[in-house]
Amino acid sequence: MTEGRFAIMPRAYEAVYIFDSTLEDAAINEKLERFHSLLHIEGDINVDHWGRRQLAYSIGQKENGYYAIARFEADPAALPEYERALKLDDGLVRHLISLHEHEVGAPAMSEEEMAAAALRRDDDDDDED
Amino acid sequence: MRRPQKSCPFCETRVRFIDYKDDRTLGRFITDHGKILPARLSGTCARHQRQLATAVKRARFLALIPYTRGHTA
Repeated sequence: MTEGRFAIMPRAYEAVYIFDSTLEDAAINEKLERFHSLLHIEGDINVDHWGRRQLAYSIGQKENGYYAIARFEADPAALPEYERALKLDDGLVRHLISLHEHEVGAPAMSEEEMAAAALRRDDDDDDED
Repeated sequence: MRRPQKSCPFCETRVRFIDYKDDRTLGRFITDHGKILPARLSGTCARHQRQLATAVKRARFLALIPYTRGHTA
């Protein structure tokens, strides 16, 4: 029986964290580093900090949260331990991990396309009068 | 006389996958009470309507958009 015949393919993930907004920025960065060290990834991870933001509805008694979005490629086997650490952390109000294998949003439009789209939108508006 | 079919706003802007973090765009596709706008009103194609539903549900979970609006508990 040949061992390890299948090479483990890292997959692309995107994690959105909502930290307690009363935490210091340094404490948040320290927590992020601790979480990401559990993923055993070489090199650093691209973290996009949205910062403090009002929640659309209150979670518990919290009205604000600190949003951070991380994108990384990781071995699926490393995820359970990472998720366990996320769940155990009190400073982390909520998190969502999703596969990120598609480029989301729209490709940047050139000026002409934007003008054409605006033109089309004006035509649509005329129909409705 | 049948009304001309609206074009899908996502196909128009060549969006391939709807980003659940883009709460401004998602906000245009939910009603005043926070419900997902039906495709017959927004003109969204079936493929994008399925993605829109998933994106809205994820955005709700992340408190980017409300589950319900104007509800006095």
